[in-house]
Amino acid sequence: MKARIDFHIHSCLSPCASLDMAPRTIVARAKAAGIDCLALTDHSCTENLPAFHDACVEIGIDCLYGLEASSAEEVHVLCLFDDLEQAMTFGSMVYNHLPDRPVDPKLFGDQPVVTVDEEILRLVPRLLNTGTDISFFDLVPMALDAGALCIPSHIDRETCGAVSHLGFLPDLPYDAVEVVGTIDSDIARRWPVVRFSDSHYPEQIACRFTEIETESFTVPALRAAFNDLLLK
Amino acid sequence: MKTNELKFDGLDCVQPASSDSEITGGYTSDLLSDVMAHLKEGEALLTIQAHKNTVAVATLMGAPAIIFCHGRIATADVLEAAAKENIAVFISANSQFETTCRFAKALGI
Repeated sequence: MKARIDFHIHSCLSPCASLDMAPRTIVARAKAAGIDCLALTDHSCTENLPAFHDACVEIGIDCLYGLEASSAEEVHVLCLFDDLEQAMTFGSMVYNHLPDRPVDPKLFGDQPVVTVDEEILRLVPRLLNTGTDISFFDLVPMALDAGALCIPSHIDRETCGAVSHLGFLPDLPYDAVEVVGTIDSDIARRWPVVRFSDSHYPEQIACRFTEIETESFTVPALRAAFNDLLLK
Repeated sequence: MKTNELKFDGLDCVQPASSDSEITGGYTSDLLSDVMAHLKEGEALLTIQAHKNTVAVATLMGAPAIIFCHGRIATADVLEAAAKENIAVFISANSQFETTCRFAKALGI
């Protein structure tokens, strides 16, 4: 089947995202925009995935469970799972590698863990949009070993992308790379190029998406589908 | 040295601090997690990371001034956040290295 996917969306848990990004709002917007499968990818934390899962079941849409992990070099990497428990375990490991220092939400923004009905369960104390102490070169194999699709985020951005912070894209077995601007053909021949919205506000959902031909939305099926995106 | 007395070649003050505070030294880094771990209160932050999170990190750590190096532009939201936190904002046309050298000279370090 042909499918439109948007695998880079932040909820209200990410301090830089709007508090309007409640799980049900995100899922309903994605469905209305014609997305067939979406992923929630908060910064280095998976605590809003259970509410996201509930919203996807309620609204009836396929989903992946993800996070946008930040390496020690502050390079962002999308880690996407087809299993909620696996995602939660990996997410909690990544969170524990963030600086252990509570920060004032007034400075960086609130980090609420919510239910599908938008009840606030708690506020996450560690700052989420900063680097962990895991090197990019370790983070990628860790994500792949944990069963995730591993996609460096916005590799062509000036901040928090692999090229801007590492100088070049290291030759590692990513499942795809996320690009925002023009595609570099050398990169597009080496790795599948995908475009996602990186939504922080409801109106950004599906502003960029990727169309794929896939049998299903499991990690192995998506890996195979991504390979068809390689520039020949 | 007071934030509003800081002057050297290639440095432009794009937003003075509303109340003058003391700069005791500087910390040069483009990794905000590194800044969060090592900048000491009173030190100015020298960086090319010209976005709002830089102001938040500077506030958290008690930096009285931020110098955006290599001609990076400070956007209106950055200046607004800095004004709220009484942080002086400068832009230096020069690289982090050159700016750091000139800054250290200005401070007499």
